[in-house]
Amino acid sequence: MTSNIAIAMMNGIVWGLIMALIALGLNLIFGLLHVINMAHGALYMLGAVVAWYLIEFTGSFWIALIIAPLFVGLIGVAIERGLIRTIEDKPIITIICTFGIMLVIQELVLMIFGGAPRRIDSPITQRFPIFELQYPVMRIMIAFISVVLMSGLWIFLKKTKYGLWMRAVVQDREMAAGLGIPVTKVYMWTFAVGSALAAFSGVLAAPIVSVEFMMGREVLIMAFIIVIVGGMGNLAGSVVAAVLISLIQGVGSIFVSPSMAMVFSLAILIIVLLVRPQGLFGE
Amino acid sequence: MVGDRERANNIFYSQRPSRVDGKLHKGEGFMVEKKPKKKEGILRKEISRRDFIKTTAMGAAGLGIGSWLTVPFTYGAEPPIRIGMFNEYSVFATEYGYWMGKVAKTAVAKMNAEGGIAGRKIELFDYDTKCDPKWAASMFRKMVLEDKVDMVMGSIHSGVQKACFPLAEEYKVPLFSGGAMTYEFTGKDAIPYYIRNHSHARSQALAGWKWAFDNLGKKWTFLNADYAWGHSLAREFGGLIKAAGGKTQDIFAPPATADFIPYLQKVDPDTEVLFTAFLGTAALGVLRQTVEIGLHKRLQRYTVICCTEGIGQDVVGKESIGAYYIEYHPRHLDQVPKELHPYEMAYRKACGVDENGREIGNPKVTIAGSHMYSMWIYPYQIKLAIEQTGWKNRNNNADMIRAIRSQKLKAGPWCPIGDLVMREQDHQGFSDFYISKVEPDLKLKVIERIPKEKVMYPSETDLTKKV
Repeated sequence: MTSNIAIAMMNGIVWGLIMALIALGLNLIFGLLHVINMAHGALYMLGAVVAWYLIEFTGSFWIALIIAPLFVGLIGVAIERGLIRTIEDKPIITIICTFGIMLVIQELVLMIFGGAPRRIDSPITQRFPIFELQYPVMRIMIAFISVVLMSGLWIFLKKTKYGLWMRAVVQDREMAAGLGIPVTKVYMWTFAVGSALAAFSGVLAAPIVSVEFMMGREVLIMAFIIVIVGGMGNLAGSVVAAVLISLIQGVGSIFVSPSMAMVFSLAILIIVLLVRPQGLFGE
Repeated sequence: MVGDRERANNIFYSQRPSRVDGKLHKGEGFMVEKKPKKKEGILRKEISRRDFIKTTAMGAAGLGIGSWLTVPFTYGAEPPIRIGMFNEYSVFATEYGYWMGKVAKTAVAKMNAEGGIAGRKIELFDYDTKCDPKWAASMFRKMVLEDKVDMVMGSIHSGVQKACFPLAEEYKVPLFSGGAMTYEFTGKDAIPYYIRNHSHARSQALAGWKWAFDNLGKKWTFLNADYAWGHSLAREFGGLIKAAGGKTQDIFAPPATADFIPYLQKVDPDTEVLFTAFLGTAALGVLRQTVEIGLHKRLQRYTVICCTEGIGQDVVGKESIGAYYIEYHPRHLDQVPKELHPYEMAYRKACGVDENGREIGNPKVTIAGSHMYSMWIYPYQIKLAIEQTGWKNRNNNADMIRAIRSQKLKAGPWCPIGDLVMREQDHQGFSDFYISKVEPDLKLKVIERIPKEKVMYPSETDLTKKV
């Protein structure tokens, strides 16, 4: 029992950090643009698909980990400039629009990449023993990269000029514009960073889950749950909520069936919505 | 040669009497072609009456022969036989849909080239189920009411097929299952207008349990997708294992599970056989993660080929080495029984499949070989039934069903999987199964052939009086 709990807790934290990275991009876009980006899961998938092509071409996972998010970030720029900017003040329309973008990306990938799943080999194959089982080092590495990226984002937001601009725009858009902050540029780069974070998660998760044109759909649902529980627009809240939900699911699945553990975590979502609609850690 | 532009320049308005006063006025007239200044090519030659008659006669003869050769079904022929088809082309299980559609189209094209059915051309109407039962049912209705199809085939989605059952009965239009694995469709839920020439969960269990029980182990854990198919396999296999004195454990995970560690760590320590059943990325994920946590060292892994149909074994990866599969038709040509080789080779050639089960010209695409054969055989079954019964239109569908359900097909160009026996009582078809093992070169090597007679369980229904 002790060994099971230890494995479940470790795996919960690792998986939670991967999910946090996905949710972070979603929350960043919502926090600044107030856009509920339904295409976030598709951008996560696109990151993994682009990485697959890059690995086929270069043979290096690490090159793909750098280039694929940049590529998806540029697509994010195109989406923001071409579509979101024209409808940014209409929340319902943005939901429909990003849902449409999701479908377009999915269908394009289906046409080009095909419907069958593809694999991305794990660049680190070592495992270490943990009680009677083994645990892949790659997962620890992914969790570590997630922490590095999240720390980088925190430093970016707190210590750089662009980060300051972004925080200023969140606080008061008109005042920020009046003070000479290029608000439209901030919006554009925020969407790009959010998209790139989704792609980063896609590339990191691909060696575990394989690549498929529909892989973003399930992830999107979980990312929304994390954002709601953590507080919409609250980045730190997203990280804590992601780890918390994964831990509850992981440890809960020892005592009840894993499906029931999932139900339990969804029940928490409902309770949070009822008791603290602003999320556990506030908006 | 006189080009189009030059000819256009040579056109001018010839004068003709005015409509107003009957006189000739400049600028009024009709278009005629001016003779070119320099005569070239055919225009240089005056056409005589003899030339005209000769050319016209030759042209008419050419057209007549050409149309007779290329369109054998048009003039004076009976209307085409219309077959509706729907498959999973988007959303999910697209690797199946791609091959089901391709094979059906190839089969119909081949049959048309060979003269159609009873001299009638076959028309195929193709739709996407979108993996959505409600949508698929609306497509079924559209095919019947608007496209006027005589029968419908396709789909591996049990929910889609179940949603179409009431429509098949209402319109008396046969529904030929593409690859739905729910056993009950030809069991307690069977309807007279449903026909299935392929395997399902129960026949797979009957084919696969005994060999594995004797050779792999007696303590089984089922880690399956938490929906009807996964439960069905756990129930069918588990029932047989327990009845034989074995022990089973059931774990169900959401169909799109990404992280399997919470589930794998619940596998009983004394488990000897881990049976998994998932589709898509989850199927790959469970195999890979079993190896990642070292579980593969202490137990045998067993699954059905449905899990990785349409996915190359190189994609499944080296983590699948040593895993056992139940196949319903071997993926690799050299694993197909020798006596079936001529038929198999012709079938593969027609469908553009190489000897390793990959698409010719596109080796990244792997066949759904244990499923797609159904769509190759159905047109042939329909042809035999129509020619046997003198079927004319949808009003004779009952006759066609009676003929199809009693068919006993011998191995041949239209039945490359070997003998196929249909059963009258439940409209279920039976053919041979294969147990395969993933070799170090990632090839699915057949290690046991299970004859169809071993999977012919007693029918749970009797449809003979219902059609």
